[in-house]
Amino acid sequence: MTEPILELLHISKRFDMTQALDDVSLAIYPGEIHALVGENGAGKSTLIKIATGVHQPDTGEIRVQGRPVVIHNSQEAQALGIAAIYQEPMIFPDLNVAENIFISHRSRGPFVRWNQMYKDAEEILAKLGVVMDVRQSAQGLTVAQQQTVEIARAISLDVRVLIMDEPTSALSLHEVQQLFKLVRSLRDRGIAVLFIGHRLEEVFEIADRITVLRDGKLISSRPRSEVTVEQVIRDMVGREVEEFFAKSSVQHGEVVLSVRGLTKQNVFYDVNFDLRRGEVLGFAGLVGSHRTDVALALFGIEPADAGEIIIDGKSVRIRSPQQAMELGIAYVTEDRRKYGLVMPMPICANITLPTLPQFLNGLGLIQRQKEIEVAEQFRQRLNIMTPSVLNTVERLSGGNQQKVLLCKWLNVQPKVLILDEPTRGIDVGAKVEVHHMINDLAAQGIGIILISSDLPEVLAMSDRILVMHEGRQMGIYTREEATQEKIMAAAMGHPEAILERQA
Amino acid sequence: MKFITRILRPEQVRELVTLFLIVIIVLGFGTLLTDYYTGRTFVRVSTSIAIIAVVAMAQTLVAITRNIDLSLGAIVGFCAFFLGVQLSYHHEIGPVPAALIAIAIGTAMGMINGLIIAYGRVPAIITTIGTMAIYRTAIVLYSAPEGGIVSAHRLPMWARQFASWSIFKVGDLDFRVMVGIAIAVVILIQLMLTYLPYGRRLYAIGSNPEAARIAGFPAQRIVFIAYLIGGALAGLGGYLFLLQYGNLMVLAGVGLEFDAVAAAVVGGVNIFGGTGTAIGAFLGATLIGTLDYSLRRWPAISEFWRNAILGLLILLAVATDSAIMARLRLIWARAAAARTAEMAEAKARSMPQA
Amino acid sequence: MLSTRLASLRRMQFLRSWEAILFVLFLITLFYNSARAPAYLTVENQINVFYLYAEKIIVALIMTFIIINGEIDLSVSSVMGLAAGVLGRLIELGYPGELALAAALVTGLLCGLWNGLWIAYGRLSSLIVTLAGMIMFRGLVWVLVEDRSITTFPDWINNMGQRPILGPFPLSLLIFFFLLIIAYIVLQHSAFGRYVYVIGNNREVARFSGVKVETVKLVLFIASGLISALAGVLYTARLGAMRASTAEGFELEIITMVLLGGVNIFGGSGTLLGVLLSILLILNLRNGMSLSNITLQQQTGVIGALLIFSVLVPNLATRVRAELNRRRFARLAAEQAALAERKEVKAETK
Repeated sequence: MTEPILELLHISKRFDMTQALDDVSLAIYPGEIHALVGENGAGKSTLIKIATGVHQPDTGEIRVQGRPVVIHNSQEAQALGIAAIYQEPMIFPDLNVAENIFISHRSRGPFVRWNQMYKDAEEILAKLGVVMDVRQSAQGLTVAQQQTVEIARAISLDVRVLIMDEPTSALSLHEVQQLFKLVRSLRDRGIAVLFIGHRLEEVFEIADRITVLRDGKLISSRPRSEVTVEQVIRDMVGREVEEFFAKSSVQHGEVVLSVRGLTKQNVFYDVNFDLRRGEVLGFAGLVGSHRTDVALALFGIEPADAGEIIIDGKSVRIRSPQQAMELGIAYVTEDRRKYGLVMPMPICANITLPTLPQFLNGLGLIQRQKEIEVAEQFRQRLNIMTPSVLNTVERLSGGNQQKVLLCKWLNVQPKVLILDEPTRGIDVGAKVEVHHMINDLAAQGIGIILISSDLPEVLAMSDRILVMHEGRQMGIYTREEATQEKIMAAAMGHPEAILERQA
Repeated sequence: MKFITRILRPEQVRELVTLFLIVIIVLGFGTLLTDYYTGRTFVRVSTSIAIIAVVAMAQTLVAITRNIDLSLGAIVGFCAFFLGVQLSYHHEIGPVPAALIAIAIGTAMGMINGLIIAYGRVPAIITTIGTMAIYRTAIVLYSAPEGGIVSAHRLPMWARQFASWSIFKVGDLDFRVMVGIAIAVVILIQLMLTYLPYGRRLYAIGSNPEAARIAGFPAQRIVFIAYLIGGALAGLGGYLFLLQYGNLMVLAGVGLEFDAVAAAVVGGVNIFGGTGTAIGAFLGATLIGTLDYSLRRWPAISEFWRNAILGLLILLAVATDSAIMARLRLIWARAAAARTAEMAEAKARSMPQA
Repeated sequence: MLSTRLASLRRMQFLRSWEAILFVLFLITLFYNSARAPAYLTVENQINVFYLYAEKIIVALIMTFIIINGEIDLSVSSVMGLAAGVLGRLIELGYPGELALAAALVTGLLCGLWNGLWIAYGRLSSLIVTLAGMIMFRGLVWVLVEDRSITTFPDWINNMGQRPILGPFPLSLLIFFFLLIIAYIVLQHSAFGRYVYVIGNNREVARFSGVKVETVKLVLFIASGLISALAGVLYTARLGAMRASTAEGFELEIITMVLLGGVNIFGGSGTLLGVLLSILLILNLRNGMSLSNITLQQQTGVIGALLIFSVLVPNLATRVRAELNRRRFARLAAEQAALAERKEVKAETK
């Protein structure tokens, strides 16, 4: 066994109230693909931010090749051979590919020699087994290509530890395989790859070693060959998986929403389904399947080009969110920060935002008291942990923020509620509460579309499951006939094939 | 089509379009006006563009980094005034030392901007509104003992004649020193933006400030230096301003910063950062200057329409940019994707069969 | 490193104290001025202080909305001038004053509509659109008035601008107070006001919540045009004259009034109270400086410095505080670690 290239020893980090990391020790070896898994809030991103110098540990030390070091910023991390690739693309869209690779180099001379740069860029990409037009502007690159450029940049800086934070979340299946090929070639060249992933199938495909964090503590760190998926899940969650999903059976009403041949050029094609009152229709698929785009079309943000939408028997064209809301459709976004909540505003103001006209008195002024009352009712109903509904949303935990977001759309009293990844990034307790909530809402006769990349969640909560693959509808499975394999196979584009179960 | 995407970038297409428009304007007005294609026209237009071009360079540099400088006109005014007063009392100062003095003062004023914006983290628009006011007041205070004016007849001989010095004459076309200086500045800045790592980092910061931070750029220092250079350029602009006009009032240079923004925007510089070239800004200044002069000469429209048309021009430039540049970039991206696919195929073909 | 939670809490507390600081500075200025000039605190003098700036502070009200919404309007001074120009030119041509006045207001409305369409629906940067508008509208004033100055206005217009209407209050001040009350009610208590804040804070969230973002922006810019035109008319009435350069350069002081009042240049936060206090401060500062024989042009520099410091000082203060906190946390963590070690050692030696 070789020397570890990077050691994080007894790292603890506290942010005000939360202990993000508690005495975590991890060794990263060269030529190994090391997966770091854990739920949101487990401490994974804090750990890598410490490794790349963005944060300083409260206690503990970092050793590079046995030597203790202090890393103050990402520049110093780079100098030590540690580089990170995050989910947000860190490329410069106005520069070309070659420049993106070499932009942070200090030692290429006092003048920029363009032809040399193009040659060097092509060389590095060739080392990765990739061909790309290096003169092209980085703006037109796909997410997968942007990642490749970032990896090329890291290689050019002689990276020894490459950290990748959820690199597959925006890639299609084909692109994931390309990425894995690349990652394996990096490993074969002696580079250590630290890979944070959420999709256990992928983790088990690519990793040599799997480390699990939970609530800031290191739970286990074992070679992939010595561990099973169930063990990893148990380590991640701390209890048996079965407890979570409790689906009560509900009487389904008449069809509230019908979609026929819904199409949007270059995005999704020929989507067809019926949604009944009280039914939970799961939308399964991998990222890149464009499920959210279907939702955005139904909600009027990005209207479809062709096809029919029928609400309560009437055919409609949905061209704006206001229209969608009037028709009784509500969409709960997956990105709270960007599209869901106004962070510096109070909880009650966020809840009433879409329905503000209902809270105006005769003179057109906002009835604050009524607003607070309604918000209070929601707070109790969903058990939102906050001393007051006048507090800003910013201060809440992820789970509570998600609840506020849900309240906002429940207040619209929708007939159709579209939930986009409602339990992403929230702690386990809140997850359970959200699932109960979904049951309650179905029981009240709301038609629910549940978009989720969490296969067990989709399987447990849905009455039927619609599977999409790269914009195409692969099929609709009833609760009885759906199994994890079938859904996964369809999500990957092979509805007939059956995958081998992970050992 | 693919050939074009290989040779040129969308931004260069934009520059060519601006050049094309200039040619159209010149040809168009050549038929409408008499005595248009004369040396006089060339001199008038070129010297009026010279000052704006230099100031537009300063504005371009900071615009690329997603900032703005509204105090440039005040810096030009102050440097012009300061130099004017100094020259009035010290006739022994020659043209080169005078330029250095103006540039030094401008750099100092730019430094104040840079410190507040880059290190004080005060947004550029607020800072430069504030420093514009402060520098204008400085002009008033400094010029008070002089009665608020600089008189040309009290300047040294060389200063009074400078505006008419020429580098060379080609027939009727008189290429003045002022114009030569301006063009030299444009070329230098363009070279800096294309061939110096510092220049490329300006684009990086404007293109994705977050990525620039993570990549480890000393973003503050880079922006600080941009304002420093901007101040120096404005100082040079003040030098040219003084020599061009000779007689100065307290309101010298008012509005120049907006003219510089106009020139930059018309020339394809994005006010949101990341794109734009020195040549583009220069072409923008030329377009505006040529149009301005031509309209003033055209008896069909009174000279008072100048600003109205200028404002409309800026708006049209931005509107068409917004609509067209995005589409151009898409075309370029598709061509690049096609090229990449070709390259991949070629590589696959050249590999031995597995 | 402080968590974002604590940082935003601090920012909020500071904002509340921003108004407090403005108030304190205002009181200081007031007392200093009244100490130097005995007649300073009389109603007459105070009204006069406001009267000279009435047009600018009226526009500052709508500028507050626009900046909170995350936009900016650089063309306000040109619209003022253009409205004045329309008013003057029509009167010069012999049209009745009422018609000229109505035309001036409609002109402002159209200017605002022009700006608003490009910004709200064309999705262009308000900085550039209103910059172009500033140049263009001013250009139209030149076309209308050329290099003349128009000085013959009907008596009723002159009186409107120069004579007190209600008690000692001139019309322009009455209009300001009226608009202030309406602005307050709309901004803090109406749905529209809340939409203004939300859009300024996060345009996408507003859109995804069913708020008609384009409509709000269009309305704001139309209002800006209309109110600027009104201000232009009042200004002309007060001076009894106008020329092509009327109201040139006003936009900067107006924007300064708003920014000094604690309104964030990037949008999403700010209060009318802050802007009102900032107006009181600036007006009394200027008045005091005038009493000390500092000329108007010189005063501008002081106001400019005030604007810069108003953002610079809190920035530096936050950084200093963050640094001190970081050191405190580090010290605490080290102490805790040392304590834990000592406990271990004790346990071992038992």
